[in-house]
Amino acid sequence: MGNKALRSFLIPIATLIGFIAVWQISCIVFEMDPWILPDPRTIALRMAEDSALLWKHFLSTLKLALMGVGLGLAVGIIVAIVLHSVSFLRTALSPLLVLSQNVPIIALGPLLMIWFDFGLMPKLILLIIVCFFPIALSMLIGLGQAEPQLREYLGMIGATRWERMKRLEFPASLPYLFSGLKITATYAVSSAVVAEWLGASKGIGYYLVLKFKGYDTSAVFGAIVCIVTLSLLLYGAAALLERLVIRWRPRTSDDWAGESS
Amino acid sequence: MKEYGRKMLELTGISKSYRRGKLRVPVLQEITLNVREGEFVTLIGPSGSGKSTLFRLIGGVERPDEGQIAVDGKVVTGKRGLISYMPQQAALFPWLSVADNISSALATSGTSKKEAKEQALEWLHRIYLGGVAKEYPHVLSGGMQQRVSFLRALLMRRDVMCLDEPFAALDALTRADMQRWLLELWESDRRSVLFVTHSIEEALMLSDRIYVLSPAPATILQEITVPFERPRRADVWMEPAFAELKREVLNLLEKGDISRV
Repeated sequence: MGNKALRSFLIPIATLIGFIAVWQISCIVFEMDPWILPDPRTIALRMAEDSALLWKHFLSTLKLALMGVGLGLAVGIIVAIVLHSVSFLRTALSPLLVLSQNVPIIALGPLLMIWFDFGLMPKLILLIIVCFFPIALSMLIGLGQAEPQLREYLGMIGATRWERMKRLEFPASLPYLFSGLKITATYAVSSAVVAEWLGASKGIGYYLVLKFKGYDTSAVFGAIVCIVTLSLLLYGAAALLERLVIRWRPRTSDDWAGESS
Repeated sequence: MKEYGRKMLELTGISKSYRRGKLRVPVLQEITLNVREGEFVTLIGPSGSGKSTLFRLIGGVERPDEGQIAVDGKVVTGKRGLISYMPQQAALFPWLSVADNISSALATSGTSKKEAKEQALEWLHRIYLGGVAKEYPHVLSGGMQQRVSFLRALLMRRDVMCLDEPFAALDALTRADMQRWLLELWESDRRSVLFVTHSIEEALMLSDRIYVLSPAPATILQEITVPFERPRRADVWMEPAFAELKREVLNLLEKGDISRV
């Protein structure tokens, strides 16, 4: 078990190191211009140079993404429960729900800024629109998936609708909710960066635009490293939260397989 | 023979049919039966004879086409929350501990939360399951899960206990064991029980009275009073009268079968 856990940790790390090594060697062998494709060492040095600034932007983006996930989670759960409970609303609103995901955020962002100015508001709205959907959708499926036997049992002992939601449907939907949350956690950072890109005075997205316009390619890569790190961080937090909340399932030995089920 | 008190459950002229396409398929026809206070009554019939439908009617999950249902002298046709119920599958909630599974059901039937918790623990100890009170149900064997499920039904403050083939999914050894266990527990706290099975031995072993049902559409073929004294001995099946009654029920079930072919 310990050996297996160690291996599942070491193998991805080794792959990552291999990837960076190949990148570094290729850059030296093919003598790449650093403003087209900088080598990992240059990127690292550039990041170290800008570290104080990067850290400030990093925190600002993290804050924005977390607020987005938090609000998206709340909106997603409410939408799922309302749509599950009122079948008329489910039928009526499902086209709107899909529509909300069809409009590209690159188009929605500027519109929101026209309507709500350049502050935090338009960015949060944008993030909520991106974040609530995977949660609402997967939870809505989960709410309907509660075991028929348990449903029948609660019916037979005369449980009310509210009790059925509280005792059966909500807990049964939690594994689905967390699948949605993990997708949301991954999307949230990219969306936060896009929101900052469209108009902000801080955050990784703002830094990215600045450096991109100045052809500072190694700094752009530095920003990408930050974005990837943030995404992994949020995903990891969601996975950890899932483990803490859902304790009743017999734990599978293979983590990844367990998460997909 | 012991005289029983008032009728806790009384079904009068219950009929029910389902619509399948344009056809009306009758399932129950003119079912009249009763369970007196402290009495163990069994419904026996071939698979698919509408026993579960009858339970759904008693539970108030569905309404009969004709006839009425009375609990403790009051007509309550279609009303929910008056019975306690033990289904064929244990139907324990996987996210609740064994003790919480019991106490939350008691809370549904109006016991205060604190009292429900105390009762659950006390009784789990009494049936030697105190050690697993804090475990999730999936660690228990099938037989143990059924014990918990029975206890949950027993402790609910309701006038009638409905047990729907509770041992059908267990292996023969566990089943015999469970029958003795249930008998002992029930005889120490006589509740009014309506029990469904398709095992003749089980019916004779446990009950005071047996109603024999015909195949669908179910009618009551005969009502049999089981003459063996209480507390019932574990080797009651060795008595000649047991074998005779068994043959009688078997004949009834076969005749019911033939008359409809």
